[in-house]
Amino acid sequence: MDVSRHYLSSNTRPSAATAELVLTNGRFYTVDDATPWADAVAISQGRFIAVGSADQVAAHIGEHTRVVDLGGRFVMPGLYDMHTHPDLALAPGYAGYLDVGLEDPTPEQVSQAILSYADQHPGDGWIYGAYFVRYTFKQAGIVPDRAWLDSIVSDRPVAILDRSWGCMLVNSMALELAAIDVNTPDPRHGYIERDGITGEPTGILVDGAYAMIHAAMPPTPAHALQRAYREGVQFQSGRGVVGTKFVHVCEHRLDALRTIDQQGQLTVRVEAAISWQDDIFPVKRRWELIAGERHFYRSARLNANAVKFHFDGTHESRSSYLSTPWAEGSAWRGHLNLTPEHINDMVADMDRKGIRVIAHCTGDGASDLFLDAVAEARRRNGGQGMRHQCAHSTTLLDANLQRFSELDVIAEFSPVGWFPSSFAYARAVFGEERMQRAYNFKGVLDAGGVAVMGTDWPVSSLDPWIGFEAMVTRENPWEETDASFYGEPISLEQAIRVMTINGAWAMGIEHQAGSISVGKSADLIVLDRNLFEVAPRGNIHATQVDLTMLEGEFVWDAQGEFSGTVREAVWQRDIPEF
Amino acid sequence: MKHQHFPPVPVTIVSGFLGAGKTTLLNKILNSDIGLRMAVMVNDFGAINIGRDLIVSETQTMVSLANGCICCTVESDLMEQVSRLLALREQRPEYILIEASGVSNPSKIAGTLRYPQFQDQLVIDSVLTVIDAEQFDQLEGELAALAMEQLDIADIVVLNKCDLASPAQVRAMKQRWLYPGVRLLEARFGEVPLELVLGVGAFDPVRLESSHECGAHCTHADHAHQFESWSWSSDRPLSLAALRRVLESLPSSVYRAKGICCLAELPDRRAVLHLVGSRSELEPGAPWAEDQPMSRVVVIGERGQLSLPQLEAAFEGCVA
Repeated sequence: MDVSRHYLSSNTRPSAATAELVLTNGRFYTVDDATPWADAVAISQGRFIAVGSADQVAAHIGEHTRVVDLGGRFVMPGLYDMHTHPDLALAPGYAGYLDVGLEDPTPEQVSQAILSYADQHPGDGWIYGAYFVRYTFKQAGIVPDRAWLDSIVSDRPVAILDRSWGCMLVNSMALELAAIDVNTPDPRHGYIERDGITGEPTGILVDGAYAMIHAAMPPTPAHALQRAYREGVQFQSGRGVVGTKFVHVCEHRLDALRTIDQQGQLTVRVEAAISWQDDIFPVKRRWELIAGERHFYRSARLNANAVKFHFDGTHESRSSYLSTPWAEGSAWRGHLNLTPEHINDMVADMDRKGIRVIAHCTGDGASDLFLDAVAEARRRNGGQGMRHQCAHSTTLLDANLQRFSELDVIAEFSPVGWFPSSFAYARAVFGEERMQRAYNFKGVLDAGGVAVMGTDWPVSSLDPWIGFEAMVTRENPWEETDASFYGEPISLEQAIRVMTINGAWAMGIEHQAGSISVGKSADLIVLDRNLFEVAPRGNIHATQVDLTMLEGEFVWDAQGEFSGTVREAVWQRDIPEF
Repeated sequence: MKHQHFPPVPVTIVSGFLGAGKTTLLNKILNSDIGLRMAVMVNDFGAINIGRDLIVSETQTMVSLANGCICCTVESDLMEQVSRLLALREQRPEYILIEASGVSNPSKIAGTLRYPQFQDQLVIDSVLTVIDAEQFDQLEGELAALAMEQLDIADIVVLNKCDLASPAQVRAMKQRWLYPGVRLLEARFGEVPLELVLGVGAFDPVRLESSHECGAHCTHADHAHQFESWSWSSDRPLSLAALRRVLESLPSSVYRAKGICCLAELPDRRAVLHLVGSRSELEPGAPWAEDQPMSRVVVIGERGQLSLPQLEAAFEGCVA
């Protein structure tokens, strides 16, 4: 069966022993204990058929084999970024929404911007964008309400966000399309501002009420989602990523990923996790996707066999769910968005369906309950089942470290907050004791568990090398400070495993990818420096990726080494700047 | 679960940048006998100067005072903390005062307190923004944007440290920042009259007007001399639109108004009027039932600044 997967439409089969491509004169760090180092590899049909010394590999060179001399460069397996969001980072900016484009626009300027947008985008579609400033209305003696907006445009829906995201101003048609009227109940965590006497909506919507407008609006345009993902994977390939998880997708996001895949531009293996909640964007076909529609998107590069949900809150709003109260003398432990019972049943159900559950757990209480849910799923379903993923894992209980290995749960650390920076120290609100256990890669690894990392872009940079370096140093890569971050560093060898084979394990493909081993997918990166020969600090994060190969195909070629040849990379020379 | 048997707890939000003078105001409340069980949520105990003899008990996050007040730090999620205050049995506050930190957006606080979870439990009585006359005109960028939020949400703006700023600075500040209908109270040393902060209890405008006379034991300091009240009543129904126009165009010397109105548009029940500074709200109240429908409004403004004939004419003009 495995052979027929790679059949060629030809009557003559090439010898399995003959390589299409041989990379030689490299310093290959394989992440394979059987052969930790090699000088050369032979590749055929997208797989490594030999890994070893130049002589061993030379036996696979045939008449038509392309032999590439790497000039002594360092090579290792490709990287895995196990939690990120190019769509959230880029798509809104590419959607072509209205941008008033002024720092403190007056009502007159907002009105002009709406009218000129309407001119440039004729029809009856939504006019959606940012922003207005309530204060400038107050200065002008104008009440920002639907009557004001109706006086500018009344024949198509308009929704404008407040500068500080404090509220959204919508016109009457937008209210009508969103079915918001005098009888509409207020949503959770938000409200519909109303006339005190009549109860009629004024056109001002607060917080949770935005979702009612978003649900009525067309989804983020396909072109914007496609561009966001395309540029995201281009950047990732340029930085050596071969496997990633786009955590939170809907049917439209999957459509965009499928389009890129079909265009041959999905140059990273993507596991897309269907959003379990509608808190970021509505997922109208969630249950169809989970029931089986997700398979429609499946390819060698793309699968949607995962769901993602927000179990607890965040450190900013002190809503992360902790195992003990946030502060002495207080009962506040944070907030769970879903009940533990919901999670128990849901994890067991998804587990049976072969769907990975990725749970946002920033607090040590949330991950504790999530591990309980996985234990319950194991009890109900028997066996080890799916590997579920504890996302963020900002702070974990020491007593739970062992359970990651026992329950086959992926400990995913994100965003990159394990080096000294104001971004990372914002989490110090967790308290000194809990911060000692922050981003505890070492604890999980020492207990025999599998740790992976995620960039969680746009929360931290999409560049995986920053977190890679900081795993080994716990220090600021740009030497802005000499302080060390809480917790203990791990060795370079451990960090490389976290970035490579552990990622493959987290995607369930460790038997076919994640190391440079015979029989595995020919995924590798050629670097401008040998990671074992440089001081980690200040160097690892600045590593340049010369070449990225996925399934034997160059997807990134920094210098254009293969430009104009049959091996020309999908992306070369330019990496997008965000 | 709703606590129908408790009336909604009024909330005052005090916003302003660090150093503007919010703490002086909070100190004044915590150290005086205001006849109300207040919960004061502050950013930092360290900045608050509570008389040691006033303290009954204290923990790391909460101080109980002899005057019935409790003072707690804003240490966790605001919604959760307010819920906890509302769930207190014996110490359930009759008033909540929240100090918005110098960097937080007060609109977000006000927005959160208006969530449906708090409906029937809380009512935003007033939002005060304290600004430093000297420092305010130099704000740029994000701080200027935050200043706009503070001014936008303010019912009353307290212009503090007037004595430290030059007249030119004050003029420039007003020129750049103020807006039509602003209620601007100029103050020194953060001396804010409490009746502007608190709309109930001893400071309920209705009580002030109807029954209170300042005697030798009056604890209201000089408020009675700074403010005066005026009342109006009518047994004829009022037009909602006309009443709203009047409320929006009241002179800026009017700081508070309270009342029960009989509206032509809402003949069966009372309409409850609440005005603080530049914000007024009209909401349906209890049915008239057997009672004779009647409008009665009490207005509080700066002493000597209220033109009584003008007010009289304005409200008479609301009769439908």
